[in-house]
Amino acid sequence: MADLKAQIIEQLNLQEITPESIGDDQVLFSKEGLGLDSIDALELIVLLQQHYNIRIANPEEGPKIFQSVRTMAAYITAQQTVKA
Amino acid sequence: MNIYINGTGCISPQETAQGGPLLATPREYEQVRLSTVDPDYKQWIDVKQIRRMSRVVKMGVGAANLSLEAAGVTTPDAIITGTAYGCLDDTGVFLTKMVNQQEEMLTPTAFIQSTHNTVAGQIALLLSCNGYNNTFVHRGFSFENALQDAIMILKEGSAKHILAGGVDEITNYSHALLSRFGLYKKAPVKTMEVLNSPSTGTIAGEGAAFFTLGITKDPGTVAELTGVSTLYKPLWEGEVIGHIMKFLEEHYCTPADIDLIVTGRNGDIDQDEIYEEVAAALFPDHAEACFKHLCGEYPTAAGFGVWMANGIIAEQAVPEAAEFYGKAPKKINKVLVYNHHQGTHHSLVLLTAC
Repeated sequence: MADLKAQIIEQLNLQEITPESIGDDQVLFSKEGLGLDSIDALELIVLLQQHYNIRIANPEEGPKIFQSVRTMAAYITAQQTVKA
Repeated sequence: MNIYINGTGCISPQETAQGGPLLATPREYEQVRLSTVDPDYKQWIDVKQIRRMSRVVKMGVGAANLSLEAAGVTTPDAIITGTAYGCLDDTGVFLTKMVNQQEEMLTPTAFIQSTHNTVAGQIALLLSCNGYNNTFVHRGFSFENALQDAIMILKEGSAKHILAGGVDEITNYSHALLSRFGLYKKAPVKTMEVLNSPSTGTIAGEGAAFFTLGITKDPGTVAELTGVSTLYKPLWEGEVIGHIMKFLEEHYCTPADIDLIVTGRNGDIDQDEIYEEVAAALFPDHAEACFKHLCGEYPTAAGFGVWMANGIIAEQAVPEAAEFYGKAPKKINKVLVYNHHQGTHHSLVLLTAC
């Protein structure tokens, strides 16, 4: 998950944020959490395609997948398992 | 109706964002490309928003905020910018990704931020300003046309305060491309010596200058924006001289009424010739100040010149770093800024003390 956090920070150009400062279960899209917005959601979709060759087939799954770093990591692992 | 400059803000290769006496401690460079001295932009922009902003957006937002703060205006009625190059850096990022990734998986941020009106848009978003928002992309007239638009809107009475300014950045890509055209000196020169350089080419620059214009003057207002005029591709120096005479007549003055000329000399012997001819014909005994050795050459550099002219009227003195010829009179009432960009775009801005 540390790698994924580093990739998120780089993709979204999150300044003054380190992988350690992002909690595994911290909510990504809320002011109380990381405070990401809709443009960041698009960036995260591109991140999954670029780094993991994963395309989100059903957009309605987005809110669940991008709830936190842990849910993202779980989705990536599940997709890689399916492909294997 | 008079148009007043109620506040100014400038971010440039000099320490212009810090306030204090005008260009009291000029930065001297020995290079052919000058970059802005950036203030801490976080004083104006939230960390979460700043991460998406390229340098040109940040310098535009910074200069705009400085200008509004100086004028005591929180939300202007209109925002008008001028930029020739726009958001070059993000355009480069987007195009590079497009090529490298074979037009697939393109990220939205660089695309969104690569349009020319991004600066004006971001200023409006940060100020929650829903008023008129326009950007002029007219090469060497971009800044001047932004001012012209602001003057017309103020004169028709549809706004009381307008934020108008010019901004341009230089990037590695653009500098490399423009260098191929022979626009810049072949070897580094000391900026304080560039105006007397005996060679062609100049030094590249960048920056942002914004002005809060209004129809009433505030206690801190020092100058009136008396007039702006442009002349495209004059055939010979006589056309420029005639244009300046006509411009001054339109504003009920003659060359004798001008206390100081501020010219856009940039150290290119070919391009500076016209300034010599104009000065010899119309202003032979006038004091002359220059600014492009301080900010570098870029299409909206006249914004720095107007910012400096306003500062000269405020202090009633020409900073030593800007002096080129003669001594200005003790009372500096009218300042004429005459600039041209690459010999094709000539502009005049007349300021009057108030």
